[in-house]
Formats: sequence, C-alpha cells, structure tokens
Amino acid sequence: MFLKDLFGLEDYPLEALQEILRRAAYFKKNQEDLIPSLEGKNIALSFWEPSTRTRLSFELAIKKLGGRVVNFLPEISSENKGESIDDTVQTLRSIGADALVFRHSTPGIFNSVAQLLDIPFISGGEGCYQHPTQALLDIFTLQESGLDLAGKQVVMIGDIVHSRVARSHFYALPLFGAKLTLVAPPSLLPPELVPAGASYFHHLEEAISDGDIIYLLRVQKERQAKGYVPSLNEYAALYGLDEKRMSLLKKDALLMHPGPVNIGIEINWEVIKHFENIYPQRILFQEQVQNGVFVRMAILDLFLNGRGS
Amino acid sequence: MDLLLKGGILHDPVNGWEGPAEILIKDDKIEAVSLSLGPVEVPVLELKGKIVMPGLIDVHVHLREPGQESKETIATGCAAAVAGGFTAVACMANTDPPADCKEIVSYIKEKSRAADLARVYPIGALTRGLKGQKLAAMWEMAQEGVKGFSDDGRPLMNSMLMLRALQFGLVLGLPVISHCEDLFLSGNGVVHDGVHGYKLGLPVQPAVSEAAMIARDILLQQKVGGKLHLAHISARESVALLRWAKDAGINFTSEVTPHHLLLTEEAVGCFDTDAKMNPPLRTSADREALLEALQEGIIEIIATDHAPHHPQEKETDFLSAPFGVVGLETAFPLLWTKLIEKGALSLSELIENLSTAPANLLGVPGGNLAPGVPADLVVIDPDKKHIVSRDNFYSRGQNTPFEGWKLSGTPVMTMVDGDIKMWKGKVKGFSHDFPEFEEMC
Repeated sequence: MFLKDLFGLEDYPLEALQEILRRAAYFKKNQEDLIPSLEGKNIALSFWEPSTRTRLSFELAIKKLGGRVVNFLPEISSENKGESIDDTVQTLRSIGADALVFRHSTPGIFNSVAQLLDIPFISGGEGCYQHPTQALLDIFTLQESGLDLAGKQVVMIGDIVHSRVARSHFYALPLFGAKLTLVAPPSLLPPELVPAGASYFHHLEEAISDGDIIYLLRVQKERQAKGYVPSLNEYAALYGLDEKRMSLLKKDALLMHPGPVNIGIEINWEVIKHFENIYPQRILFQEQVQNGVFVRMAILDLFLNGRGS
Repeated sequence: MDLLLKGGILHDPVNGWEGPAEILIKDDKIEAVSLSLGPVEVPVLELKGKIVMPGLIDVHVHLREPGQESKETIATGCAAAVAGGFTAVACMANTDPPADCKEIVSYIKEKSRAADLARVYPIGALTRGLKGQKLAAMWEMAQEGVKGFSDDGRPLMNSMLMLRALQFGLVLGLPVISHCEDLFLSGNGVVHDGVHGYKLGLPVQPAVSEAAMIARDILLQQKVGGKLHLAHISARESVALLRWAKDAGINFTSEVTPHHLLLTEEAVGCFDTDAKMNPPLRTSADREALLEALQEGIIEIIATDHAPHHPQEKETDFLSAPFGVVGLETAFPLLWTKLIEKGALSLSELIENLSTAPANLLGVPGGNLAPGVPADLVVIDPDKKHIVSRDNFYSRGQNTPFEGWKLSGTPVMTMVDGDIKMWKGKVKGFSHDFPEFEEMC
C-alpha cells in the first residue's frame, strides 16, 4: 500500500491515507504513553528552503518516537542546486541515515535524487510540486473537528499556481469526497491547473458563501515583485477575507491556512479576532500546526517500520 | 566510384519516378536512371526490392563543435547523420565560440571535410556573439559559404534588428532562420503551459510566446520579401498564423520536428529530462494541428533540431537539465512507422519534407536523383524492424524520448557523393568492421 518514498499523493489509495490518519489519531490520543518506535533510527532533516514549522514539526515527531535527528543545514545559495543535493543525499546515507526528510525549491528534484536510494525519502515540500504531509495534516484536522468531508465544499483562495499545498490537496481532498472550488486571478490560477471536477472563480464573492471550509493560501511577497498581482494591497482588496466578506460565510464554515498568515492580506486582523473571540472552534490555524506533529509521527512510523509495528 | 544499383524501388517525386529502377553512378554523380540499363561494365549492388530515394537533408542540427565536444563533434554528428539516412545537415551557430565570423565557419567546414561523411552546411549567427544586439558579418560569412543565418536557441527580441537581418538576407540571397519565442512570455518556463506541466509545478512556457513572435516575423517578411524560415513550430496558434500568412501570399517556409509531430506534454511523465526541449512538447490538439499543417503543405519541412548533450548533463533535475533531444538517428524510422505506415503521409510527401524542400531552402543540391546531380541517396529497408537503443547511437548524445520504441523503415545504406558512408548500420571510419566494397556486392 505504501511506496518507499512520499513526494506526492497521486499514487496513494484512500486506504493508505486513512491508515496514516488512524495512526496519527492514535499517537495524539496516547501521547503521554508512546512506544519509542523510532528508537535507534537516525532520521536526517535537510531543508534547502526556509522553513520553521514544518522542520520543527518533523523534528518533534522524530523525538517523540525516540528517534535521533540528524540536521543537515545547507548553505542556501543559488549555486546550491542539482549536484550538491546529490552529494548531500549520498553523504547522509553513508553516515547511516535510516530515512531522509527534505525540502527543496526545485519541483522534481526528489524524483531525481531518490531513484537509487534504498531508504525512505519523505518530502517536506518540493518547489511548486507537492507538500503531501501538509495536505494530510489538514485532513486530519478537519476530521478531528468532527467534520465528514464527503460532499463538503472546500473553497481554496490565493496563489494556487505556486502552491505545493494545493497540488497535494488536488489528490487528497477528492479521495475523501470533498468538492473543490478555487478562487484566484488568472495569473495565479491558469485554467489548465484546475483539476477535473473542481470549479473556479475570479471573484471571492461568487464562491465564498458555498464554502464549508475556507482554505486561505499564503501569498508570497516576491510574487508581487514578479507582477503576478499589481500590489499586495490590490490582492487584499480583491481576495482578502475582510468583515464584509465574512458576513457571506456559512454560519458553520471552518477557516484554514497552512501558515504563516500574512495578516491584512489573506485575512484581516478584525476577522481573526472575531473568530477567536466568538467561534474559536471554527478557526483551525493552530490546530493545523499542532496536528502536524502527530501526522508526521504516523508517516515516519509507517514508512520506517511498516504497518505491523 | 562507378556502380550500378539494381533491384531497388526508386522514389524520386521531383522526376516523377516511383517504381523499379536501375541507377548508374559514375564518379560522384547520377549517370543514368532507367527501368533497365542493359549490360554495364561496373560493379553491381543488388538491392532486392528495397527503397532508393534522395538523401535526407536536415536543416536544423546542433553539432556542438567548436567548444562543446563532450556533447558532440562534427565527426560524431555526421556519423549519426549518415546512420539515420541523412546525406547533409545544416548546423546551427550556437557553438562556443559562436559561428559569427568567417574563421569559425571555415573551421567547421574544415572539420566536416575531415569527417568525410555527411555534407555540412554551416548556418552563420545572425548577431555578433548571438547577443541580439548587432548584426554579425553576414556578407563575410556568406562568402565563406554559410547557407543561412540564425541565432537559434537565442530568440531575437529586437524587432528592428530582425527587420534589418531580413533585409540583408534578401541582398545575400540567404534565408534567415528564426527561433520564435517571446522571452518575456516564456520566462524561465521549461514545459508547455498545459495540464501536465501545471500538475508538475514546473515553470511553464505558453504557446503564445511562440505564436506572438511568428506573427511579428511574418509581418516583417511581408514587408521585406526575402527568405524567412521559421524553426521548430510547436503550437496550434502558430499554425493558424502560418495558414493566414500563406493565404496572404507571404513567402516563407517553416519546419516541424519529429518529436513535436509524435509526442505530447505527457511524455515528460514524472520529470523525464529526455523529454525536455525548447519549444516544449505541447498537447494532442497542437500535435494534430502540426500534422495537418504538414499534410496541407503549410509546413514544408521536417527537421530534427538534433541537440545532443553529455549524458551527465541530462542526469539531473528537470529545471537544471539543458533543453534538447537527439534526432538524426531516429527521425526517418519514426516518421516511416508512425506516419507513413499509418497512412498519415505518403512517402513522396515525406521525401518532399525531408529532402526536396530542405535543399530548396538552403539552395544546395539534393532532393532528387536526376542524371547529373550528385549521388546523394539513401536506401531504406521498409520491413527491417529495430528497437531504438541509445547505446547504439553514433551521436555522443543519448538524450532521446524514443528509447525502446519498436520501429521499421530502417535506413540500410547512405551514399554521399557516390561514396557509401553507411552500410547496414555501420559507418565508414567509425565501425571497425565497416565492409570493403566487394563484400557489399
């Protein structure tokens, strides 16, 4: 059911993802009383792109299961492409790593480096390609909130063309029966990217009132410099979740964001405060971060120890 | 060498010949063609029903020499050419240093003579150093024998410079070969802006980046009226513009590659760098539009854009890998198997696309086998099947997206200037067991 590596969710059946989610739930429930199933295992983390929460989340996941973290911090520069990641992977393997967790800015690079590798290679985000552990922790968080995803409408808003999170959700959400609506200007959402069965809109107002889950994507500041949007203010004016748009939401709609949030761009401070004060159970940003640890524990445990442990 | 080719089926559409023929070769020329020449006092090569046709001419290859000999040399590129049935190739100017002056052109000609396999027609750079800023010494290179001008690989963004290039090309009677790509639109794109490319999260290169520049070039050509040739057309939007321009009576030619005729963006699969080329593989609608344009004669030429790279350079991630695929050794069998055997194109049409029209574009001999023309020809065994295997390539490049394809229509003999350069897959000067002439007879 599980492949050796985890770069994307395209080839994973529902049962495999459900197994990960079950194990994550087990770990969360029994977190005070865990069997150190990664004891004696060396798991190397190498993040070639800035990351705080994903790296920390993996690191905690490894430690909670008794594994050893080997951190390899490359000097991130524009020359550090291609050749040197090969060397890094070989080095980490040679010094005895039992699994590798990488993040890199180049889509497809894991495919090229992991081909000859005999240990699990887990993606912590790969350019604009996919970010499978984020999609899984999102689904875990939604299930935990008591929601049955079948037939539910997920409205995803923002920089979809550059989003590895979106590309993983294109596979994950439909597997669980959710319907996907995408909202962005065409520069950030070319029609060719829209997966079969999903709908898309250029205006937030056209989609937001149908959403059971509102998924806000982070807008990278450098996109504005490259002209994808005239300015961040204009993006916020068209696609930011403000108080006026908040009034269009379903009364039980859930809010998600893979973080870190640009307050005032994807969502207003007033809206966040409103939810935090009145409907804290409907704003899931912190739950997403917290659950990331358990989902990554489950993934590492399953990929390193198999299903029988 | 004097020689009689007997028992073959001659296809020479220019001279209206399609059927059994005996071909007498004297020195380096076709001496006579007839159903039966009667007794002649020369050695006889028995072809046993195989197809004889004018040698293939590829107007678009990269031979990499000088400067990038780890990818290909003029000798290995020419060996690949004759192995694939090509008797002549036109090589692009993006060498290191670029072919932008008579010295480099002369060097390429010298190396080609030494290789003594296919004819090599150098294409001179359009601008100095391929920098797109000042026209290169076009007259000087024309004197040295270039057959056209191109900055291929480096699209010419300056429209005024393109206009001037066409004007001087007109004076010199030589074609300007344009790589149509608006660099602002293509950006750092490495794949088509289609479903597959977006799915992989790779930077994309929209079809309109090609079409927009084609529109510019045909309008400039309409104004100037010299010889314009548009390289490697890949998009249906471009085809629509070509159709409009033909209807408007604008005089130009264009080419399509075998890979754009036969593959789509899905061939990139899971980041396969052997399917990375510029322009990128596009959709089945584009592929169909290209084939239709070829069938209608809106696109006249098939060229391989043979772009060899050292295997190590392609063995990296998709973004870092260089653009380009090899094509000389696979082109004819691919087109035979996938187009002719499937009825999409006739052999006469293919000879026009791969030999006659290329000879006309470059203004060189070839494209027909009338008495008096140089004896440049290829013999095809239509029934001989082979499996594409990069390990068997004469090219130093192994970057093919067609590895493992089962093909027929195998070239079994290539003759240049009356001399047999390839025999049953063996290349003169390359294969240690290349047979003596007596062993062939």
